Amino acid sequence: VSAVLTLRERFVWMARMRAFEEACLEGAESREIHGELHLGIGQEAIGAGMVGALLPGDAVVSTHRNHLHAIAKGVPLRPLLGEIYEREAGLCRGRGGHMHPFDLERNFSATGIVGSSLGVALGYAYASWMEKSGAVAVGVTGDGGVNTGAFHESMNIAGAWKLPLVALVENNGYAISVPMEGNSATATVAERAPAYAAWARRVDGTDVEAVAEAFAEAVQHARSGRGPALLEATCYRFQGHYEGDFDLYRPKGEKEAALRDLDPLARAERRLVVLGEATDADLAAVRESARAEMQELLAEIRSQPLPDPRGALDYVFVGSGG
Amino acid sequence: VTPETATRNLNVSQAIAEAIGIEMDRDPRILVLGEDVGRLGGVFGATRGLQKRFGDKRVRDTPISELGFTGMAVGLALAGYRPLVELMFVDFIGVNLEQVYNAIAKNHYMSGGAARMPIVLKTAGGCIGSAAQHSQTLWGLFAHLPGLLVAVPSCPYDAKGLMASALESDDPVVYIEHKGLLLSRSRDFEHGAQVPEERYTIELGKATTVRAGSDVTLVTLGRTVLPALAAAQQLAVEGTDVEVIDLRTVVPLDVATVAESAARTRRLLVVDEDYLSFGLSAELVVRVLESLGPAALERFGRHALPDVPIPAALTLEQAVIPSSDSISAAIRALA
Repeated sequence: VSAVLTLRERFVWMARMRAFEEACLEGAESREIHGELHLGIGQEAIGAGMVGALLPGDAVVSTHRNHLHAIAKGVPLRPLLGEIYEREAGLCRGRGGHMHPFDLERNFSATGIVGSSLGVALGYAYASWMEKSGAVAVGVTGDGGVNTGAFHESMNIAGAWKLPLVALVENNGYAISVPMEGNSATATVAERAPAYAAWARRVDGTDVEAVAEAFAEAVQHARSGRGPALLEATCYRFQGHYEGDFDLYRPKGEKEAALRDLDPLARAERRLVVLGEATDADLAAVRESARAEMQELLAEIRSQPLPDPRGALDYVFVGSGG
Repeated sequence: VTPETATRNLNVSQAIAEAIGIEMDRDPRILVLGEDVGRLGGVFGATRGLQKRFGDKRVRDTPISELGFTGMAVGLALAGYRPLVELMFVDFIGVNLEQVYNAIAKNHYMSGGAARMPIVLKTAGGCIGSAAQHSQTLWGLFAHLPGLLVAVPSCPYDAKGLMASALESDDPVVYIEHKGLLLSRSRDFEHGAQVPEERYTIELGKATTVRAGSDVTLVTLGRTVLPALAAAQQLAVEGTDVEVIDLRTVVPLDVATVAESAARTRRLLVVDEDYLSFGLSAELVVRVLESLGPAALERFGRHALPDVPIPAALTLEQAVIPSSDSISAAIRALA
């Protein structure tokens, strides 16, 4: 049974997600996070649209850009941010980092290899199908990932065996620098669904209400035992592919227009004001409160120790220390 | 050995299928995924009878989608299962290596010890005249990637015991069965021919001395144990007493057993059906020298597949794959 959230509640989720990403951005700029960092700023409507549709037994397997899906799956923010900040108290004791969070209790994980999330989600889907547990598995990928062989293999297996797999495709228009039209034989990802006997929809992924409705439908389809669902959510990545990306491959005008028209938070704010459900002051307070929450969390994480170098060889094998 | 087990004349595939069946009975979390593993029972028969016994959910024929179903095994392991994935030929590793070395090998580490990957990647390797794309062994490749255990049985007894251990292991195990052994029967073996019907395991990381000797230590594994024993017999006639050690696993590598022997014989020969360079043979020699000191060996040698794709024609294949004659020559060069 999926919880129905109000637009205002989803706006709060989006504000918290953005503030979380901004807290990460700080670490990239300060080099406290010393490796690649991929942020979902601009893609919050998809993360917040997932909230409420999933049950604890469902699984989510995400990508290199995974923070918002982790939050949507209920991964606690403290160990999640701690892991991103490379702390011993992080979700993976600082061994995984921001691209490889594992929360087994919540059936959440991610992989940094584009396309590989789908196969892992397929394993959860197979387990659910064998056990008749009714759980679904969400494999997240992007407009780049859908061109991998792994995507095709996983979708085909899910279709052939009618497994409860939801392929959630965040189509932000660019596979790093190459636009979708240069990469895909089809204009949309959703239109590939008949090849996999999959339910499909394409939705405006910057409209949180539209995403929530479509995602709930996709999950419902997979849960009902009718095979895989393919949900394509279009959006725009406001940051570079990674922090530090000069981002010279996207036309300046396109990015400015996207920031103006496709910011999922601003879109929700405008609608809430038009509907009379919130005032500008209310909404500013929500954003401020989210910022304060994440800043407080960040301050706490900064006080935590980094992993002891003597533990660098732990956890290679089950018996190998740690 | 009871009279009854003494009469069993299993082939190696049957020993493997027997082990998988016993383990699947013992642990309902074990399931088998792969091409032709169910209805056919495996192209070499190493999963024969299992689908009939355990059903088509636990013994699942997959499409030719190795990357997809190896990814599935990762998800199943995260969900608490213990999948055995069959990669029909080890040479096909190019299409699913991504999930093997980026997920199966690394997830335990990357999760700070939280995730376990009790997955067996069972795959057929070794030369049977099928040329460059269907004859490799590649255990050195897996051993090079941290996080994978690598088992290579040489006889029916070890095939069953190492499979039981692999399926019991909480770490991922690459189990490389030799195509040249799978259809060989107990009576074809001088070592490890008897296979008890009951369950037993062989500790991963423990080599075994299959022939005691005092003049030269010959270390090998897999099918090459057979020509190595034949070579040792030949050399005995010539007055050289060869100790033959079967490594059984590449990871963990039992350096202690090899070093103990080499310290006595002061002559070490590693014979490897895998490629020569950057592989098991050099690794083992160096580790023995690190363990005993650089002056411990009077002579050492490596006899491995030269760095060349495996040729099709028999005359060319025989020129590159270690045989009893070529092993004998390598021993004479050390003695």
